[in-house]
Amino acid sequence: MFDLIIMLSRYLFIFYIVLFLWQGIVYIAYEQGGFLGSPYTAVSMQRRIVILMHITAFLILGYNRETHLFDIPTLIFGAIAFLFLLMAVKLLDRFYYEGCPLIWTGMLFLMDLSLIVLQRVEPSLAHRQLMWMCVGLAGMLFLPFFFRMIPRFEIFEWAYIIVCYGLLICTRFFGVAKGGSTNWLSFGPEAFKITFQPSEIAKFLFVFYLASVFRKRVEWKQFLTTAILSAGLVLLLVLQKDLGSALIFFMTYMVMLYIATSNEFLFLLGMGAASVAATGAYKLFSHVRVRVAAWQNPWADIDAGGYQIVSSLFAITTWGLFGSGLTKGMPKSIPVVESDMIFAAICEEFGVIFGAGVIGIFIMILYRGVRIALDCSRRYYSILAAGVTTMISFQAFVILGGVIKLIPLTGVTLPFVSYGGSSVLVSLMMIGLLQWVCVYCEQHSQQDQEQPRAMEMQMGGGRYE
Amino acid sequence: MSNMKRSMRRVFWLLALCFFLLLGYLCKLTFVDRGEISGNAYNSRLRYVDETIKRGDILDREGEILATSTLQSDGTYSREYPRARMAAHITGYSSVGKTGVEAAENFELMKLHNELFQRINGIIRGTELQGNSVALTVDMDIQSMAGDLLGSAKGAIVVMEPSTGRILALQAYPDFNPNSVEAQWDTLKDHADSPLVNRATQGLYPPGSTFKTVTALAGMEYLSNWQDFTIECTGEREFEGKVIHCFNNAVHGTVDMKGALASSCNCYFAALAEKIGPGNLAKTMRQVGMDTPSHFELETSPNSIYLEKGATESELVETAIGQGRTGVTPLYMAMLASAIANDGMMMQPYIVDHVVYPDGTEAKHTVPEKLMDICSAEEAAILKDMMTEVVTSGTGTAAAVSGVTVAGKTGTAENATGYDHSWFIGFAPVEDPKVAVAVLIENSNYGRATPIAGKMIRAALTELGE
Repeated sequence: MFDLIIMLSRYLFIFYIVLFLWQGIVYIAYEQGGFLGSPYTAVSMQRRIVILMHITAFLILGYNRETHLFDIPTLIFGAIAFLFLLMAVKLLDRFYYEGCPLIWTGMLFLMDLSLIVLQRVEPSLAHRQLMWMCVGLAGMLFLPFFFRMIPRFEIFEWAYIIVCYGLLICTRFFGVAKGGSTNWLSFGPEAFKITFQPSEIAKFLFVFYLASVFRKRVEWKQFLTTAILSAGLVLLLVLQKDLGSALIFFMTYMVMLYIATSNEFLFLLGMGAASVAATGAYKLFSHVRVRVAAWQNPWADIDAGGYQIVSSLFAITTWGLFGSGLTKGMPKSIPVVESDMIFAAICEEFGVIFGAGVIGIFIMILYRGVRIALDCSRRYYSILAAGVTTMISFQAFVILGGVIKLIPLTGVTLPFVSYGGSSVLVSLMMIGLLQWVCVYCEQHSQQDQEQPRAMEMQMGGGRYE
Repeated sequence: MSNMKRSMRRVFWLLALCFFLLLGYLCKLTFVDRGEISGNAYNSRLRYVDETIKRGDILDREGEILATSTLQSDGTYSREYPRARMAAHITGYSSVGKTGVEAAENFELMKLHNELFQRINGIIRGTELQGNSVALTVDMDIQSMAGDLLGSAKGAIVVMEPSTGRILALQAYPDFNPNSVEAQWDTLKDHADSPLVNRATQGLYPPGSTFKTVTALAGMEYLSNWQDFTIECTGEREFEGKVIHCFNNAVHGTVDMKGALASSCNCYFAALAEKIGPGNLAKTMRQVGMDTPSHFELETSPNSIYLEKGATESELVETAIGQGRTGVTPLYMAMLASAIANDGMMMQPYIVDHVVYPDGTEAKHTVPEKLMDICSAEEAAILKDMMTEVVTSGTGTAAAVSGVTVAGKTGTAENATGYDHSWFIGFAPVEDPKVAVAVLIENSNYGRATPIAGKMIRAALTELGE
């Protein structure tokens, strides 16, 4: 009987995510002047889907097939997480009154998925993850006050980059190795040790730095200083063997530079320089060669270098489009499944269609993020929003591409989904920042009431429940 | 400002493109690469077992049951192999881990067709959850004949259909009884004869003189006047750092390629290889697929080839007559014989023909697939002609079958640790080849594989209604 339920639940989960994305399309279509349905219903539908998915998943995870009883701790945790989701919806509505609702629902969907998958592979990690989410949410709610207090926080451009360098350099002295890269800092006594990745926080500051510099007209001087400082950061990250972050920093710089200058030539030049630098890094550093070799032919060395990527490919391809059904797969056989490789576990148990849907949600967040940047009339905020959006999207691309072997696998987290305190915190703060830009621009653009904007204003006042 | 917005839009499309690439690649993984990746032996999911499902049967091409599951009184299923040892290396076992077809088709055997219907029916009427059955290309009559012919000689026999790559029989000895693997595990696992190793697909042997077919192909390819190339065989010939003897120091006199292949003249092929050069011979070895991974359903060792462009002359001449460090599987040699029989086109060997659903419908028929062209049809025809000569008047007369023209090549692989290994590869009828065989007998007298191959060919042709 239970097997039958799990079998049917596979289709239910796919139905959820497809409906979720469809509602996103309904909302966007309305905004673009088409009509596929009411945008209010669309958003409240999305919220309901997240809630329903949560309930379905935790009922399945909580059932013990040996004793035919429900496992109480799992159900309690499910209920706490459920309350967290409800609270998040209420609080976000209140504190970011005019924020983009699609980004909120997308974020909640991914966070809920994270809790479900972590509960499935390692419940204790799910508990910690929820704690981090609460902290992140609290920080995010605090963000608008913080920004309101310091209205001109763009003047700190030098402070940002100096702290950025400080964070990355201090791992060279105090860092601990984890997963092959020395990019972690460790705090506190042994029992309550908190480890975090300074490069995650540096990401946040880096975007601020670039936006602050690029808010003015970009002359040669600005270009050269930012280029040299960014190249230095990237180099530091490569030396720390944190290739994924290096790639993300580089791409964010290129994109923000391109947006600020609109100079295609510079962009292509930068890409060319990066190719040369990448070839150089390949020749110089053995850890880069190892990664590339594991990507080109993981099958040649399954026992050692290729093991991670091969296990991920097994998980993704074995069960096909509909997956094995929650609890039926073997996600624990994938190394670091809780953080970097979490997408493989999602594809395994929820199916490849669901996995594609997760990519769809990232596309949705990307689209909304760019929309916010486009609709913002103030250059500084616009660049900031674009930078944050690029960073999140590109990070998602780097790790998703790595897990499915489209590009070499580098250890970065999948925003909102992977386990990791610093990752969750920083991802949430970034979305908070993006939404705050959205709110700020809504409030400061009452004068130019164009068609879509007027509608958004009305929508901000609507009730989604 | 508007420039900036335009740039932003472009950036959006760039990033969106990245995500669409992800989606595209994910599709490629699921629709194109899925079978190959998930079928890899390292995939622990292949050993996934659901105790509540009745594992499907394994059938031969006429529907004879090779493996089946029966419900025991305690509610668990036991796996039985009615033909026990006769097909052991094909079915493999499903108890202490899984091997053979049991491992390769584990997923299909565990898969519930019409899952929803079966599960609901199971709840309401208590019927069994039945996995799909797998039908093989193997003909148990030919397979038993191969087993009888092999008797208690260590070795392997592979019988293949040249035009499709279907495996008709695949026999290896020592073998084991799949019904009692679990009980005898400790003995089987460490036995000196390694009975669990499938010698037909996992045993690597020097090809001996059967390799001369490859050297001959290299000669046709890289020596424009190979028809005029003859040598005066005195029973031995000196090369840089190596003296090559013909078998039993036989003196073959003046021989051309045809004569040399028929009499298996080592001196001729060593001299021919010297003319061709190690680079070209190595190229031909690759061209005939010696280093191509086979993707066969059963666990298969890749051939080991060492010859390279800069190889020494002694290594070159040793390789050319099939001694030295080259190692091939009997399965590969059957593929080579099939390819020559099939006008140079090597087919992908396969042993699973189709899947049978519990209601009896057949599905997922394997479509024969070309692996590669190893030579032109003309070269194949010349080689066929020469190999016919081997059986009619050369070293392979013992493989002759009355009323049918058989082509083949004998081989004796020198073995440093004991008696030589005896090889025969061949096919029949030459005019329209229906079967190709590779026979290998370990540590045996000279030529022992040849009559076995003859009987095997006759039996297979009779069985196939020729």
